[in-house]
Amino acid sequence: MNDTYLKLTAYFGERQRAGSRFLAESMLDLYADREVAGSVMLRGIASFGPRHVIRTDQSLTLSEDPPVAIAAVDTAATIGALVGDVVEMTPRGLITLERARLLDGDLGRAALPDGRDAVKLTLYIGRRRRVDGAPAYYAVCDLLHRHGFAGASVFLGVDGTVHGQRRRARFFSNNVDVPIMLIAVGSAAQVQQVLPELEAMLRQPLATVERVQVCKRDGRLLARPPALPAVDAHGRALRQKLMIYTSEATHHDGVPIHRALVRKLWDSQIVSGATALRGIWGFHGDHKPHGDKLIQYGRQVPVMTIVVDSPEVIAACFRIVDEVTGAHGLVTSEMVPALLMLDGGARDGTTDLADYSY
Amino acid sequence: MNVALWAGVLVIGGLGSVARFMVDRAVARRAARSFPFGTLTVNISGAVLLGFITGLTLSHQAALLAGTAFVGAYTTFSTWMLETQRLTEERQIWPAVANLVVSVALGLPAAMLGQWIAGLL
Repeated sequence: MNDTYLKLTAYFGERQRAGSRFLAESMLDLYADREVAGSVMLRGIASFGPRHVIRTDQSLTLSEDPPVAIAAVDTAATIGALVGDVVEMTPRGLITLERARLLDGDLGRAALPDGRDAVKLTLYIGRRRRVDGAPAYYAVCDLLHRHGFAGASVFLGVDGTVHGQRRRARFFSNNVDVPIMLIAVGSAAQVQQVLPELEAMLRQPLATVERVQVCKRDGRLLARPPALPAVDAHGRALRQKLMIYTSEATHHDGVPIHRALVRKLWDSQIVSGATALRGIWGFHGDHKPHGDKLIQYGRQVPVMTIVVDSPEVIAACFRIVDEVTGAHGLVTSEMVPALLMLDGGARDGTTDLADYSY
Repeated sequence: MNVALWAGVLVIGGLGSVARFMVDRAVARRAARSFPFGTLTVNISGAVLLGFITGLTLSHQAALLAGTAFVGAYTTFSTWMLETQRLTEERQIWPAVANLVVSVALGLPAAMLGQWIAGLL
């Protein structure tokens, strides 16, 4: 336990095919075959990539090929052994590798990274797991909110693996164990505090922790994304990831923040892409956990927008992020040690992990 | 004859929906705004086209193929409604109202324009 694990994330259009089958399906088959400890497939709501073609669920026609993000977490050996196959099967998409610590076994006794940076805690929970009669993610969000976490968002997975077992959502099924992904941001001390309670609540859930920097909270600028060099000591490119957590209900310029953000990033032509994912429950800043209700005026669910690019581009686009999150939103930055952009035969980047401590 | 007509409705209807997809996508990708310009373009151009077709004195069969099959598949009421609902879901009330008002305000003159053009021929 507590070893360095790797998280492999693939972003691509849902209609991408690997041979005669859907890429997402082939990828999950591969993960099930290799018994990957945790993987989850999330369907996005808006995105664009290096070809600058926008997808959004606001328009029926532009939503026929929505973005998907598939994250897989396991040991460096397991992920290292399958990354070549993932690259091989992906005709077009973005692949990133990040270091994470897997908190396997008893969470209460897990050790966390130290340092003054914040921690991103990711939990993989069964969709219909319940705690005290309510969905487990309600209880987890309440707990994290009580402990003053900067935010937590819950994303519904449609396919995945849990402890090496394939868990795919089906229409006529109660989908108890299909994984949902809960992403929370807090200080190391806060995470350490909640781990025993999470353990008592969920009993050995799959959990990872990663180091992040909180850039903005509820409109307040706390720190700019750290200025990383373009390459590490061995000349391997470093990348940086911004995650912008907002709510469907918070607007900028008359449209939800994530809509304004994706559009402005697209307009700016600075970044090579962005992906927005809609959650089902969550909170950020001082707001109580929220989600959709049966009767409501406008949706209330959380949304997360992800931008991964070179440190230079991240620094340049942060102006846009800062502007649209003027009053609301949580913004975090992370280092991404490996990124590979695929488009047919064209490749940009590598899956070799860069090494840089900051 | 009857079977041929049905087959014609099938094929031409299919072409109409493909045309809608292409036009809608081309417009929406360029605009990339919350407002559903793609659907608006399709519906207004469809109204002109249908006005034009009904303004011509076509045979019953030709009118069925061009009007019901092609324009019927090309234009879309349901997408207009769905995208308006999506706007209200995001509390973009003014764009939602504008989508309803502008579609009607442009749609009626569009159909009249089509008929007027047909009348000139």
